[in-house]
Amino acid sequence: MSIMEYNGGSVVAMVGKGCVAIASDLRLGNQALGISSNFQKIFPITDHIYLGLPGLATDVTTLKEQFRYRVNMYTIKEEREIEPEAFAHLVSSTLYERRFGPFFIEPVMAGLTKKPSGEYKPFIAASDLIGCLNFAKDFVVAGTASSKLFGVAEGLWEPGLEPEDLFETISQTLLNAVDRDAYSGWGAVVHVM
Amino acid sequence: MPQTRSFDPYTENGGTILAIAGQDFSVIAGDTRQSEGYSIQTRYAPKVFRLTDRAVLAVNGFAADGNMFVKKVKQRLEWYRHAHAKDMPLRAIARLIQTMLYAKRFFPYYVYNILGGIEEDGTGAVYSFDPVGSYEREACRAAGAAQSLVQPFLDNQIYFKNQVPAPGTTHPAYLSLPDVLSIVIDSFTSATERHIEVGDGLEIYIVFAKTRDLQDFETIRAKNVHLIQELTVAEDGERIFVLRRDLKKD
Amino acid sequence: MASADGGAYSYSLTVFSPSGKLVQIEHALAAVSQGTTSLGIKASNGIVIATEKKSSSILVDDSMIERVAVICPNIGIVYSGMGPDFRVLVARARKSAQAYWKIYGEYPPTRVLTQELANIMQQATHSGGIRPFGVSLLVAGWDVNRGSTLYQVDPSGSYWAWKASAIGKNMVNAKTFLEKRYNDDISLEDAIHTALLTLKEGFEGQMTEKTIEIGVVTVPTEEDLEGWSISSANTRPKPTFRKLTEEEVRDYLAL
Repeated sequence: MSIMEYNGGSVVAMVGKGCVAIASDLRLGNQALGISSNFQKIFPITDHIYLGLPGLATDVTTLKEQFRYRVNMYTIKEEREIEPEAFAHLVSSTLYERRFGPFFIEPVMAGLTKKPSGEYKPFIAASDLIGCLNFAKDFVVAGTASSKLFGVAEGLWEPGLEPEDLFETISQTLLNAVDRDAYSGWGAVVHVM
Repeated sequence: MPQTRSFDPYTENGGTILAIAGQDFSVIAGDTRQSEGYSIQTRYAPKVFRLTDRAVLAVNGFAADGNMFVKKVKQRLEWYRHAHAKDMPLRAIARLIQTMLYAKRFFPYYVYNILGGIEEDGTGAVYSFDPVGSYEREACRAAGAAQSLVQPFLDNQIYFKNQVPAPGTTHPAYLSLPDVLSIVIDSFTSATERHIEVGDGLEIYIVFAKTRDLQDFETIRAKNVHLIQELTVAEDGERIFVLRRDLKKD
Repeated sequence: MASADGGAYSYSLTVFSPSGKLVQIEHALAAVSQGTTSLGIKASNGIVIATEKKSSSILVDDSMIERVAVICPNIGIVYSGMGPDFRVLVARARKSAQAYWKIYGEYPPTRVLTQELANIMQQATHSGGIRPFGVSLLVAGWDVNRGSTLYQVDPSGSYWAWKASAIGKNMVNAKTFLEKRYNDDISLEDAIHTALLTLKEGFEGQMTEKTIEIGVVTVPTEEDLEGWSISSANTRPKPTFRKLTEEEVRDYLAL
């Protein structure tokens, strides 16, 4: 029994043209037994950042609160909203703090970075459970359906998707991947920024 | 002192196979990389084999078992030809494979088989097997190292899973050959991109029912003369072709 | 009122006098005002911080003396007061900047670093067994959030943002001089000259590249900023704070 598969769940994030999307399933399980079909794994961090936390459910709750605390402290101290890049590093360092007794979570982030010119640039990143960051340019996946998500996303995703097409692409990717994963499914949620 | 000895005669040689049935054709494909652990043993080890003019078998898993199994199936098909003066029908080959696999129920061939071809009624068919002979006729199937990557993609693109047809329309009952071929190629390039055990080369076998009009195929063939080879033996029957392509080698 | 010798409230612990003063802090400020003059001017396209470095004897190797210090690529500080106390603060500030980088993958904004320093200095006013720092600091830096900013931190731990300020000996005169000279759209080049002129007012002896230290903040261009995106490879951002070389200082003095 792997702790990463104890509760199940999957998250995927994708880049589009001037937009990003992040999506997850809603299942909470106890190994093979389904417990809830409304377990949220994606949380808003700022108006421009969403964070997905697939993995051990107890750590989902703990980390969500941990990041809420740290981001609030940042906002107060610095009198500004945290940028996606800085937040990704905050996620990484928070996880690495527990290098030898990790949270069993593989976070996925999606956000829009404000460029000096004023326009917004899409940003996605993923991390392993001890904070090794992956800044992908196309899509990132995590959770019990990750290999399935990789396969479908690799086949469906293309560069320069408009928001409507990005929504369709990420939805189809998630739905068809979780349908082949016993630990994921039971509803889904999609966010497009 | 108690002593223990272990005997582990199995290994896993990577690679992926896939088959899709059309209305009057069937496509059976496999990559050609053979690996053990992180080492590539060869970049060209076929996993897909012509059995008859209307049957193609793809074998994935433990390569030694796979090759021996194909050899034995071919032998049984030849005996059938001598006894009956005709090729064994596809559904009969499928049942034969089940029997042969189950015969070794307690020392199995460590292989996943996918059989593709044309039934006696002229329809395209795909049969998939587990290592001990459970089998099923399907419209499409992926197996092997990248099964988990490819199968959900096929669910979406072949079975139109999670897709809602536009109001007043329905999903097509069968896909056209060009559509099937591009889905196969996309599946393998995607699997090659994300799975280390998939790559090097791709062999796509295409079997046509004897009644089928090959016009659409001839267009594709004309554009890929150097890639496509005909393997048909008998005249005026089903026709069988193989398309060989490169996949990324890294 | 504190008596001339500081009275009963002047030793060891920082303790409130009945009149509500912390005499130790006032003594620390006295130490600062005896220190050599330092100043900072915020220009429209950057900041200059400058100070004189005088050695007590010609026998001292003045290449060892560093009064303007780089804290991280976007922040530098200068001080008036006690050299050894400054070195401790520089070490603490650099550690703080690196700790911030380890968490957020970028260097701290000037205000955050200043707060960090102010905190350290404030804690020295009420911690047991230690005395307040005998320095005032000028912190100059650039960040995406607030652009270029100039802060002053005092031994009490209080800090303010300035357009231009001076600390140390002659600070009153220097500030008056700066008030007359300052305007909002002064260029960095002009600010450097104004800084040198201001220092000249109270300077004893010869102003040379050996007796002047200058640090400047420059504002990065839009192209620079585009290239610094974290996700685009491991490129090191071009520093926005740097110390002028002796050659550069000599050239400014010659003009």
